[in-house]
Amino acid sequence: MASPTSDGAPGWIGARLKRKEDERFLYAAGRYVADVRLPGLKDVAFVRSDVAHGRLLGVTKPEGADVFTLADLGPLNDLVAGPEIAEFRTSLYPPLAGDKVRFVGQPVAAVIAATRAEAEDIAAEVLVETEELGAVTDAVAALAPDAPRLHEAWADNAFIAAPVIAGDQDALAAAPVVVRRRLKMNRQATVSLEGRGVVAHYDRRYGELIVHLSTQGAHVMRRGLAEVLGLAENRIRVIAPDVGGGFGGKNRLTPEEIAVCAMALKTGQPLRWIEDRREHLIASLHAREHTYEIALHAEADGTIIGMSGDVYIDAGAYALWPTGAFMEASMAARNLTGPYKARALNLQTYTVATNKAPMGPYRGVARPGACFAIERMVDELAAELGMDPIEIRRRNLITEADLPMRTVGGLSLDTGHYPAALDMACEMIGVDKVRARQKAGEADGRVIGLGIAVYTEQSGHGTSEWMKRKARVVPGHESANVRMHPDGTVDIAVGIQNHGQGLETTLSQIAATELGLHPDAINVRYGDTATTPFGFGTFASRSIVFSGGAVAKGCREVAAKARRIGAALLQVSADDVRIEAGEIVGPAGSVSLAEVARAATLRPEFLPEGEDALLETTVSYEPADSAGVFSYGAHAVVVAVEPLTGAVDLLDYVVAEDCGTVINPLIVDGQIVGGVAQGIGTALYEEIPFDPELGQPLATTFGDYMVPCASEIPDIRIGHLVTPARVTEYGVKGMGEGGAIAPPAAVGNALADAFRQSRAQFLETPFTPRRVSDAVAAADGEGAR
Amino acid sequence: MIDLSFTLNGAPVSQRVEDRTSLADLVREGHGLTGTHVGCEHGACGACTVLVDGEPARSCIVLAAMCEGRAVTTAEGLVDDPVMAELRRQFHDKHALQCGFCTPAMMISARDIIARHGAAAPATIRKELAGQICRCTGYAPIVAAIAAAGAALNPSSDAAAAAPHVAATAAGASDAS
Ligand code: FES
Ligand code: FES
Repeated sequence: MASPTSDGAPGWIGARLKRKEDERFLYAAGRYVADVRLPGLKDVAFVRSDVAHGRLLGVTKPEGADVFTLADLGPLNDLVAGPEIAEFRTSLYPPLAGDKVRFVGQPVAAVIAATRAEAEDIAAEVLVETEELGAVTDAVAALAPDAPRLHEAWADNAFIAAPVIAGDQDALAAAPVVVRRRLKMNRQATVSLEGRGVVAHYDRRYGELIVHLSTQGAHVMRRGLAEVLGLAENRIRVIAPDVGGGFGGKNRLTPEEIAVCAMALKTGQPLRWIEDRREHLIASLHAREHTYEIALHAEADGTIIGMSGDVYIDAGAYALWPTGAFMEASMAARNLTGPYKARALNLQTYTVATNKAPMGPYRGVARPGACFAIERMVDELAAELGMDPIEIRRRNLITEADLPMRTVGGLSLDTGHYPAALDMACEMIGVDKVRARQKAGEADGRVIGLGIAVYTEQSGHGTSEWMKRKARVVPGHESANVRMHPDGTVDIAVGIQNHGQGLETTLSQIAATELGLHPDAINVRYGDTATTPFGFGTFASRSIVFSGGAVAKGCREVAAKARRIGAALLQVSADDVRIEAGEIVGPAGSVSLAEVARAATLRPEFLPEGEDALLETTVSYEPADSAGVFSYGAHAVVVAVEPLTGAVDLLDYVVAEDCGTVINPLIVDGQIVGGVAQGIGTALYEEIPFDPELGQPLATTFGDYMVPCASEIPDIRIGHLVTPARVTEYGVKGMGEGGAIAPPAAVGNALADAFRQSRAQFLETPFTPRRVSDAVAAADGEGAR
Repeated sequence: MIDLSFTLNGAPVSQRVEDRTSLADLVREGHGLTGTHVGCEHGACGACTVLVDGEPARSCIVLAAMCEGRAVTTAEGLVDDPVMAELRRQFHDKHALQCGFCTPAMMISARDIIARHGAAAPATIRKELAGQICRCTGYAPIVAAIAAAGAALNPSSDAAAAAPHVAATAAGASDAS
């Protein structure tokens, strides 16, 4: 057991405590949605569209089979999704297809049977008749006037087109150096190892629909289900048991989940649907597909002025409830100046509908694309000017003296020391050594490249920031219920969802710190709308800021009351006692928290005059400033490339990062390494290409969708800076996403560095062997001409 | 339907199964052994790994019918195994799990790596782990945990030692050494 170690921080803050949640998993006793067992449980399989775009003419059900179409689910209410912006075109996403199908994999009908295998047998016999229409598979071409229209009522295929114009436009126009490129980050899936899953049944005891759901936010999902099903919220209980990864992908309400709930209500039967991997790859939410046609404007000495151009987001066929993919475009645009002192932005953004699965959030949301774009462009600018990529960054990075500052994109950067992160990463990777090795050349003919990328990660943003984004649900607070039992042990119920982040441990550390208890005396509960106060869930690197803050606040209230009661029991003034190691300690004696709690619950006759019973409170919390607090860091990577085959090996990878005060370094490092691994997936391996004419997804199994394994991911070395936030409890900043933001940029820059002589272009992820060898060959061909 | 007799975590089982039933479905749905997870159902992620006659097998692509007369051991059947106990300690210590979905199968694979390689070097472990997907941890902590467990269980091993000396003692598990 770790002891409280901290750099001046109190109690358990900063302790390298091993995770409380590990034990059940280590004994193979985790309980995920697919593990829920109910008497009479039946399985559901979906019939899915096999065409990308078509008019749905009819569905023929096999004789005697239990098959549902949209008409059989109803009546359902419309679930309007997307931001509350008048210009945003809505596209209702029905739980089963209505008059049209708009992507391969869209659910058309649902089959109930005793087992999944039987349900799939029946599904194969359901006849779906469609009149095929032209498929739209490219977000730029989709905007052509003659492109097939996904949603007939729309004037074109854009959900929304919006400019982001800010800062000194004259300086932009007068820039002596303008570097133009077209960059693309391709489409991928989120690939939690556990797919989506739902088990729904109607329970007569409270007259409620009980939904076991693999989700990142049970309360918000209940709200969505209540709206679409037309049920009161207190007639739905959503339980998220253990969740096998989410990464953003389980933060939207999806049609299969709604359909299963509707069918459970209709039939009165307990029903289950567990997503299989093919369904996950073609029909869960997709992520990342951005195209940048942009120009970086600079002075002749490498001083960045700003960015102009067009940003295209391929948002897929529909907006998912609640907020769709709308923030991709604005976040990408607003983050396009990165951590640099840019003065101007002139961007046009397009969020475009295509015949693909809907886009949703995935770890980093928009910023992996934006970071890729700006950081690749900075290296291209350096190459153009014959400057060193590290030098050009030093020249442009926002410094400690500039902070806090509002960027030209409108982000309120708070605290940090960005150049120090760059220096630390350079030092860790050993720039001189790498340069010397490059000069010496490799015996095996491989080429070495060094790449660097700097990023910021907005976290813990609340009401003001989400209102700016016109979010349909504004995650501006989190809540905690703190309850001390008669024996002095504590239950804490929170509205966020732990699905790998270690929040049972970190929230216990916070509670233990405030209550003067050991973390083992704290039990953290979550993932059940019936037993936890309302909360938004775990996403956007918000949980430690919001939920941690709520737990601290609630525990402080309980601690204050315990001190009052303890002081009364000790017959001293409440000002003269402190809470420490399970005791209320006075000047001349102490009383255990258990005794205090006993008085507060079982033996009210010991309570002081006027003091209410119970040591329990429910509080909500939002940081003092809701613009968010910014973690940041620098990644550096050394690659070895086989020029002929394009095979890329990562020889070394370092991260220098600052996420403010660290509650638990073990968990922070775990989040970084896991995030970097996903970022490397984006950089080198993961992609869902589509047949351009037919709109068929071409990666439908792990045979053609490459998820990195242990042999692809190197050891990640991590260095820490600590600049506490000013507006959060303990100075924490969120950091769940940062690891995934910078790797595509860092790897791309390393490839460009490896081939800087030939100026081979590395502008499209993932950098598959084919893309790399093509880029090398194209540049060599040009050199030879 | 066919008649099937085999041992499951040391206990004899005789039952009828559909020809097409996978071993993963049989242990999960038929026997409530939900520690075997299903992450792809096409033999690529390793989340469903169990032991068949002591050898790791991907239960999603093994038909139950193929297990006639064999000994099947799931993660639940290895709870008392001393190698698993050491792996639990090291996985916990190195933060080698986050969501926990890959963990039981990852540990079964780890146990097999230790059985075959003893105190294996990280490079060996990485190679051997190819095909076990973990989406959360980035693998480094898993590799470190397996290396530490291998070293702890093979205190005298020098790297050249060819013969692993870890005996499996769990019910039904006969090790493949
Ligand atoms: S579920 Fe068997 S290998 Fe993936
Ligand atoms: S811990 Fe989540 S997949 Fe490995």
